[in-house]
Amino acid sequence: MQSESPKDVTDYYKHLSLFWTDIIHLMSSKPQALASIGPMRAFAANSKKIATEMIEINEIMMEFNQHLAEYYKQLNETWTTAQKKVNLKAPEVPQDIEQIEAFKRIWIDIFDNDFTELFDSEKFGENYGKLVSKELELTKHWNNITNVILQSVNLPSKEEIDEVYKEIHSLKKRVGKLELRLKKKELKENAK
Amino acid sequence: MQNESRVDPKIIEEVLKFSKNVIDAPKLVSAPDEISLEVTPHDVVQEIDKTRLLHYRPLTDSQKKTPLLIAYALINRFHILDIQPEKSWVRNLLEQGFDVYMLDWGTPTSMDKYLDFDDYVNGYLDTHVEYVKNESSMEKISLQGYCTGATIATAYASLHPDSVKNYIATAPVIDGWRDTTVISNLAKHMDVDKMVEIIGNMPPEFMYYCFSVLKPFEQGIEKYVNFFKNIDNKRFVDNFIRIEKWLGDTPPIPGELFRQWIKDIYQDNLLVQNKMYIEGEHVDLKKIDMPVFTQVAVGDHLVSPECSMPLHYSIGSEDKTLRMYPTGHVGMIASGLSQKRVLPELGQWLTERS
Repeated sequence: MQSESPKDVTDYYKHLSLFWTDIIHLMSSKPQALASIGPMRAFAANSKKIATEMIEINEIMMEFNQHLAEYYKQLNETWTTAQKKVNLKAPEVPQDIEQIEAFKRIWIDIFDNDFTELFDSEKFGENYGKLVSKELELTKHWNNITNVILQSVNLPSKEEIDEVYKEIHSLKKRVGKLELRLKKKELKENAK
Repeated sequence: MQNESRVDPKIIEEVLKFSKNVIDAPKLVSAPDEISLEVTPHDVVQEIDKTRLLHYRPLTDSQKKTPLLIAYALINRFHILDIQPEKSWVRNLLEQGFDVYMLDWGTPTSMDKYLDFDDYVNGYLDTHVEYVKNESSMEKISLQGYCTGATIATAYASLHPDSVKNYIATAPVIDGWRDTTVISNLAKHMDVDKMVEIIGNMPPEFMYYCFSVLKPFEQGIEKYVNFFKNIDNKRFVDNFIRIEKWLGDTPPIPGELFRQWIKDIYQDNLLVQNKMYIEGEHVDLKKIDMPVFTQVAVGDHLVSPECSMPLHYSIGSEDKTLRMYPTGHVGMIASGLSQKRVLPELGQWLTERS
């Protein structure tokens, strides 16, 4: 095991987990099917879906953490560099109000400049984009788990609700355009 | 003992004064929730879905013939154009004798995630323009777009030039590749398809994040220190609370619109290259042939001047004016400078063409 990469280890545990979830699912689904009714009827199948989602979440969480660590590393490095610049520019401890004001101005200007430079940079944009992307994937798996629960109690899933929204949008758009066309026609005729 | 450093008594005095100001603040200042940002009297004359058309009541005996419809941005709300009487964009125009309408885009919900550019340009904006034309018995009206609202208004002016007599683009988002702001950097690296697929509408929290990376120390620390320092200055704190309330209130952006927005404007930069299509219709900037007034702020850190100025050079109009002001994105529309310089210049330009 020592020479194996983290990906191999993850794959191994993923396989192990899926294997046992599948076997337990197969072993338990038939007796449960005989005994279960109502919202719990698909309990075994739902448990498997949720377990699979949880495994996927763990995988994504690893990548998410990598980008999150990089995010804080970039912020930390920028902070350290900016503080060094402040120390160089204003090495003395301020003694009176005027000096405190001047120090504060230097501190804010240097920190704002350095952080704006970071936020403007390719490396920040790229890592931040990936961080948000991984966060979205986590949300997607959470949505999938919620869908399983919603369907288990006979409620529509997110996709089904989206279909309804899409249909309503399409209908409203068509009606809106027809109404506008009619109004324009009426106005033209009235103008004549 | 002779070298022992002593704390300047003025520092102690300042710290005590600051502490007192913090304690006194709730007695002196209204909470943001207690303030109404709808300052100038108006009537809601038309509502379509969640959008509202506001018509401001006149402040002069006679008004100019051509009405002006303002299409505000999709980020935050239109209140910044009427944030307080002394800095109100709307009030100033009313005092100059213009008949002013405002388009409030409203607050989209999850149900509105499929609203797209077509709905905003050829649906909402076109329907509200028709209303204004009908009410004023004019065949064409003046249209102003601010920030992202100017992108929508630009597309409208290209697709419906027969309805627009004069077009005013204030800090328009036009050339995404030239935009040098932090926001454009984030937008260029965003997996917008994934965001829309999973979340639906662009959540306000994402916009708050974008705001937080703009001058984080000046805006996140110094601004609040100044607020407590100036707690006795009624005018200052009133303005501060109003702006803060406005900043903290941004609606979600419909998912499909946001997807097209990020891809067509920031990632593929289609608008300025004359390659943008809305529901199959070509948004050709050369078709914008009415008089156009483009206003750009030199210190704009939300929409950089390089992003806005290409509009002036890409349109087909012969009568076009480009003005640059030494201020920022908000300063151009709600500041002393906007009252003393930006609005009088706009008023004069518009009067000559209304």
